Amino acid sequence: MRVGNRMKENTSTRFINFIKNNLVLMAIVVLVVVTAIVQPKFLSAANLTNVMRQLWPLPFIALGMTFVIIGGFIDLSVVGMISLSGVVTVALIDPLGQVGAILCGILLGAMMGYLNGTILTACGAMIQAEVLFITFGMSSIYTAIALLLTNAETLRIARCIKPYTIFTALGSGTVGIVPIVLIVFAVILTIMHLFYKKTLAGRNISLMGGNKEAAFLTGCNVKRSMRLVYTISGIMSAMGAISLVSRVTTATATSGTGYETNAILCVVVGGTTLKGGKGSVLRTMLGVALVVLLGNCMNMLGLSTYMQTVMRGAVLVIAIWLDNRKEL
Amino acid sequence: MDESILVVKDVCKYFPGVTALDHVSIEVPRGVVYGIVGENGAGKSTLMKILSGVYEKDEGTVIFNGETIERTTPIQALRRGLSIIYQEFNLVNTMTVGENIFLGRFNENHGMRGTHKKARELLDSIGSTINTYSMVGDLSASEMQMVEITKALSFDSKLIIMDEPSSSLTSEELKRLGVIINQLRDKGISIIYISHKLDEIFEYCDIVTVMRDGHVIDTKPVSEFTRNEMITKMVGRTLENEYPPRAHFVEEPLLEVRNLNTRKLHNINFTLHKGEILGLVGLVGAGRTEIIRALYGADKAHGHDILLRGQPVKIRNPKQAMQAGIGLVPEDRKREGLILPFSVESNITMASLERLSKFGIVNHAAEKDIAQRQIDALSIKTPSRITKMVSLSGGNQQKCIVGRWLERNPQILILDEPTRGIDVGAKYEIYVLMNKIVEAGGAIIMISSELPEVLNMSNRVLTICGGRITGEFIPEHATAAEIMDKAIG
Repeated sequence: MRVGNRMKENTSTRFINFIKNNLVLMAIVVLVVVTAIVQPKFLSAANLTNVMRQLWPLPFIALGMTFVIIGGFIDLSVVGMISLSGVVTVALIDPLGQVGAILCGILLGAMMGYLNGTILTACGAMIQAEVLFITFGMSSIYTAIALLLTNAETLRIARCIKPYTIFTALGSGTVGIVPIVLIVFAVILTIMHLFYKKTLAGRNISLMGGNKEAAFLTGCNVKRSMRLVYTISGIMSAMGAISLVSRVTTATATSGTGYETNAILCVVVGGTTLKGGKGSVLRTMLGVALVVLLGNCMNMLGLSTYMQTVMRGAVLVIAIWLDNRKEL
Repeated sequence: MDESILVVKDVCKYFPGVTALDHVSIEVPRGVVYGIVGENGAGKSTLMKILSGVYEKDEGTVIFNGETIERTTPIQALRRGLSIIYQEFNLVNTMTVGENIFLGRFNENHGMRGTHKKARELLDSIGSTINTYSMVGDLSASEMQMVEITKALSFDSKLIIMDEPSSSLTSEELKRLGVIINQLRDKGISIIYISHKLDEIFEYCDIVTVMRDGHVIDTKPVSEFTRNEMITKMVGRTLENEYPPRAHFVEEPLLEVRNLNTRKLHNINFTLHKGEILGLVGLVGAGRTEIIRALYGADKAHGHDILLRGQPVKIRNPKQAMQAGIGLVPEDRKREGLILPFSVESNITMASLERLSKFGIVNHAAEKDIAQRQIDALSIKTPSRITKMVSLSGGNQQKCIVGRWLERNPQILILDEPTRGIDVGAKYEIYVLMNKIVEAGGAIIMISSELPEVLNMSNRVLTICGGRITGEFIPEHATAAEIMDKAIG
């Protein structure tokens, strides 16, 4: 009798703990079920394929942002980095060929990110507000450079003389029903996950986010870790930019607008704390799934764009609130 | 009028899995200083939090000023006349003294002019000369404490609880606190004085309650306690001594520091010998912490030479210091030492990660071994390796930091206030660890504001004042007064 009781209690507490630890997953399940009942078209192959196509570049940006936030910082410059590396990549297809253009775009992203990190360490910016505004300023600079380079005109991949097959493949190619860009992303995600979990550099990022002073006094090169997280964010922004221009087949100097808040939303919803230190690359992907599905569901249910913005804001606030409650 | 300001009867408080307070009863008469002592986790803080309304009691009665209190909130408690001054002050650094004293109550004094006038009167009443228009952020720790006490008086408090009031005070400032405590007592205000420092308890308190593991062990007038009896009751076992026997040291220079200068330090020269514990004594802000931070490469210094066993070494950052075999247990455990939301394991292994890595990949299995080894070796009380650091007691947290360095086998360990805020039993264990390190041929530089601790543990003491070394003593051949004289400058 007693044993039976304990067993029962055990499974029920375990169930509650599972739900507590996987709120995002639960939210996704509820969202999918409710929408599927109200609007059966939601689960149609056409809609799901559409979701997977419309997804990009958010997963890349959120992946980079996860590292910055785990490190205890934030990166608003992704807007400018996406825009600038997008237009530069497309502009270089003709002079360098598509492979050269892609490599240069990613290199440019890395350089912009490294520059962000260097400027932040040089300024001695160690608190969130400073980091927030410096990266915001860098974003304006990158966007302005993109505007200067393009004269605010739209660059079209289709106008390129040299072949642009990789872009087409990333934009619309599939293996079976799986988009090629998703496969590419899965590989990068795996690498970044292992990097965070297994390597010394990854651990140093998390120590830095946990307590910069303690990390510094135990021999962690905090400035280097800081440059590293921003470089990762830069590379991911450039990769995201490539997935974006591939999907929409154009590049403009403002194409990155809005991705910074969405990426932060995904990271926080995924359960990475804004206080830094703790987080998970894989959980951010659950956050991406929730944010994207939420948008799609609201479309399917016919909510207005304004209402959708309200919902998105509410989700962010709830996510931070839940995160703070967890500490108690 | 009732004779006692506060009566606590059979109060119990349960947390999941723990009985924090088990039928605790105390009675505080009016106009006395009532000491409460006990190791960390004895239940002192829980009791105070129930009194101030942060926690709710599960059983028992609390009668304050003749009124039975069932539930209260911190602001209600304040209005009734019960204030708490916590170890970490509750002041707004960017506001003035007067504003802080009457925070949120400016209307009661008819605006700011009245507020400052009233604040001035209150400060005068305890003989403090702090300007009410000064920014709190510019004040010293002791002045901030005066502001806190004045704030308590502004509520017309009948009972003031002081939680570890002396932890950030120098001995001069402590004397001033003693004067004020006596003044308050003369006004008929009762004080509950919580401290780990038994000297203060014996000096200030009239009645003392010893708590251990959520129980009241004993309550009697302080004059009927002996120091040893009090310690024995606190730890629940007999401690032979507060300090282990001093280790012997070898006259062989291990570390030499030459011409260390920074903005705050002037021409610092000293030698640390093998097997030696070197104590640095000085007031807070005299430059003790600055010396070791510069030596450790945490702060910028210029033009100085460091010789390790006669060989010059360059230390420009903590990493190079660690490679030279130096470890640092910093002053502020929570801010500089630990990552509180992380596991005990990560906190122990964080200084060893580089050694555990091959081609940049951390060997997680070895990490587990290290953490477990240190937990066992130092008998760190934690439910498991992966328990979060924040839930450990101060003494066990400190042991984790020491364990972090022991794993690296440092030749020189720098300990900045190693026993601050930890209880008598854990202190002794830290002292024993220190002796083990020096017996193994290492050396220790120790900073402490507790003079008895420095005198009993060190082989040699340097006094620091105004960023200069002002004296060198062998503790056996010097009196505390001589040393303090040099430290005050």
